[in-house]
Amino acid sequence: MTDIIKKSDTPEEREFELRAHIGSIWSGGRLFIGMYTFLLASLAFSYFYLRSSNNGLLWRPNHITAPTAYGWTIYSLTLLAVLMAIYGQSRLRKGGVSEWQGAVWVGVVASVFALFLQIWEFTAVPFFPGSSGYASTFIGYSVINIMTIFIVAYWLETTVARSLRLSKELGGTAPLLSMDAAAQSFRANVASMTYFLGFVALASTLLFAMFYLL
Amino acid sequence: MTISAERPVDVEASVPPANVEASKGRAGDWLSQHIGTAIICGFLGYILGHWLGNYIGNTYGNIANSGQNSIAVTLALLFMVIGWLLGIGALNYPLAKMIGRQPKGEVEYTGWSRYFRYNLDHKVVGIQYVVAVLGFFFTGGLLAMAIRTELLNPTVHVFAADTYIKIVSEHGTIMMMMASSVVVGPLGNYFVPLMIGSRRMAFPRIEAFSLWTFVAGYFVIFSALFFGGFPTGWTGYAPLQTQAGPGMISYLFGFAVISVGMMTAGFNLAVTIINYRAPGMTWSRVPVFVWSMIATAALLTLASPVLFAAGTFGILDRTAQTAFYVAEHGGSSYLWENLFWFFGHPEVYIMALPGFGIVGEIIPVFCRKPLFAYRIAAAGMIGVSLLSFFVWQHHIFQSGIDPDMRPLFMLTTELISIPTGFIFLVGMGTLYKARIRYEVPMLFCMAVYFNFLLGGVSGVFLSDVPVNVTVHGGFFVLSHFHYTIMGGLIFAFFGGLYFWLPKMTGRTTNKKLGLWHFWTMFVFFNLTFFPMFVIGLLGQPRRVFTYAKNLQGLNDFSSVSAFCLGASFLIFVANLMWSQFIAPEKSPSNPWDSLGLEWQTATPIPAYNFERIPVIMTDPYHYSEVGAPVLADFGNAPPVHAASAATDSTDPDQ
Repeated sequence: MTDIIKKSDTPEEREFELRAHIGSIWSGGRLFIGMYTFLLASLAFSYFYLRSSNNGLLWRPNHITAPTAYGWTIYSLTLLAVLMAIYGQSRLRKGGVSEWQGAVWVGVVASVFALFLQIWEFTAVPFFPGSSGYASTFIGYSVINIMTIFIVAYWLETTVARSLRLSKELGGTAPLLSMDAAAQSFRANVASMTYFLGFVALASTLLFAMFYLL
Repeated sequence: MTISAERPVDVEASVPPANVEASKGRAGDWLSQHIGTAIICGFLGYILGHWLGNYIGNTYGNIANSGQNSIAVTLALLFMVIGWLLGIGALNYPLAKMIGRQPKGEVEYTGWSRYFRYNLDHKVVGIQYVVAVLGFFFTGGLLAMAIRTELLNPTVHVFAADTYIKIVSEHGTIMMMMASSVVVGPLGNYFVPLMIGSRRMAFPRIEAFSLWTFVAGYFVIFSALFFGGFPTGWTGYAPLQTQAGPGMISYLFGFAVISVGMMTAGFNLAVTIINYRAPGMTWSRVPVFVWSMIATAALLTLASPVLFAAGTFGILDRTAQTAFYVAEHGGSSYLWENLFWFFGHPEVYIMALPGFGIVGEIIPVFCRKPLFAYRIAAAGMIGVSLLSFFVWQHHIFQSGIDPDMRPLFMLTTELISIPTGFIFLVGMGTLYKARIRYEVPMLFCMAVYFNFLLGGVSGVFLSDVPVNVTVHGGFFVLSHFHYTIMGGLIFAFFGGLYFWLPKMTGRTTNKKLGLWHFWTMFVFFNLTFFPMFVIGLLGQPRRVFTYAKNLQGLNDFSSVSAFCLGASFLIFVANLMWSQFIAPEKSPSNPWDSLGLEWQTATPIPAYNFERIPVIMTDPYHYSEVGAPVLADFGNAPPVHAASAATDSTDPDQ
């Protein structure tokens, strides 16, 4: 927070800078969702484009599917990370800082495990990447999902690490719930992260259905 | 609004933030992170990636007749970019965050060395962007000279056919990527915070990241030349893409890297404009340049991810052997075309809108009139931005589109000319009956209107399917987009540079050299590209190194003009060297008598832009208005009345 407010600022200016900063976290989070939507939409477009064109009847010969056990596990772990973040935020709003931290740590572990499995799944796919349209888009989906889960894990981990640092720095009984500028910024970040993770849950559900169930 | 116009007087002295340490050059600074360490780390990353790629894929991804392995090339470029970002210091903060730390002791360099480092000051980043885009422009320009040299004669060749197409491809790609950031990067980053009364960008680290990613992307695209180039032109169409040599990986990976730079730049600008507008800076008072920036930022943020995805799929085709763009294996080459142009047409407006913004900002200053129909200009920019997502299929009228869909996309393309026309008419309305001061920046703006008229009208022709089918893939199209992009954006960029350089550097540019630059650039630009409309209508195709003998006269005329056009940029470089380094002359703080907020702060601009956050009272276009309202309250500085700068002065030093 030290770099967003000048020491020479008047109280009104400090208030203005803080509001602008928190607003930036809010609108930045929403804009990031917009950006990510277009990335995922490109993948979905590719999926449906190749599926409908079905060149050489090679969209999905023999209805071959990626390993569903991996798919369910990765999807469940991603969903668990998101649910933990949502649950944690609800506890944080009621003053349960340690419960929030516990929930987010669970989310970090779940997302790291999901990340590992998503990479490991490459060794278990029962098709050559270029054998069909489905196979190609599945590999593309896997790469983008690795990126998505990495972002989820990174955001969760850095937020909980920040909470530990802030608790030490700010002191007092409930530092993360105080009206200190750093604590307000932290809570705005938690809200933005949780909102993004909600989007990830929705997108993961749609993509999981496309690649494993349809 | 949180800040009232009535200010407390007892403010503390200005000091830098607690975690920022000031430095004018300490012993041992050269050991810290700067562009030298970035180059070294990038080089080491390249070697490591290449070795690793060969180790992993020496029996898997060999590219025919190249002696290269696609996995080695991809990993080399990936590790080079990561090394570059590590070396410059872009990853310090993200890594420190993982262990819950703030970056310790970020040094705020104040000397020349700050321009060679990962700097968080938007003004420094703006200057760094200027140098970067001029570097891009110089490289792309040299390649253009090579193209025109080859086209001097249809039968005597300087280059082989495949070398020629690779030069054309590299020229197009470098120029398009340069043009996507030529205004947003330098002028957007530098002036948007100043114009909205902000002391900073919303996310300064993301801003710096966008710059250094953009530069890394340049190196990646340029590396294609060392891998034998790529033969697809800047559009990278499959199936040629999948058949090309390792240079194609540089193209695909370079696009992916630059798209990250574009996304982050747009993201940061949009968030800054939304949240950091000074109190009183309502949407109806936002300068028109800022409107153009937010419209462009929306496009950058939403269209670039599609380019990133398209590039990633292309790289997967070449490394993981997927078949996104290979029809024989269930993919489709048309998929690339759709993804590419879904990004590619908004990209056209990513390049056009900032030019309109600059022109809209400059002409009221030299007309001494308010901007005509300000709200329509803003609405036009937003309209163009929205509609640009619905026109991409006009690029594939002849390839990959159901013919029944053509009328729809013809209609949407023609529709977009309506908001574009609004923006044009706003300029005409401002010029109408104005007592114009023909300073160098104003001349460039007038040229933008002239050039864009030709480029825009030929664009309306091209949107019609019958015309499009007739002239597609020829020099007519080439001339059209050079008129819109170079004639519009690049002229506006130079107008903006001449206009704002005195504020950026505190030094005035040489007017005589500026006039020479303008007239030579304007005349030879038109002499170069206008004949291409005719050449195109006579049937000369693009990207082919030979042509019908009867077109040699026109081609020679165009080539000689192009050489002169190239020389005109040397006048700009000479002006820059002369006025900034050899014989610098201090510029008045507001040489053009502009009402823009950016001109109301001190020169050189303080680290935090404004000593007190200003409270905005009105928009900055009340030129020559009797009884114009107070522009803004600057706290402990005297208020600036809109009327106080509303003189009809013709002497910029007054």
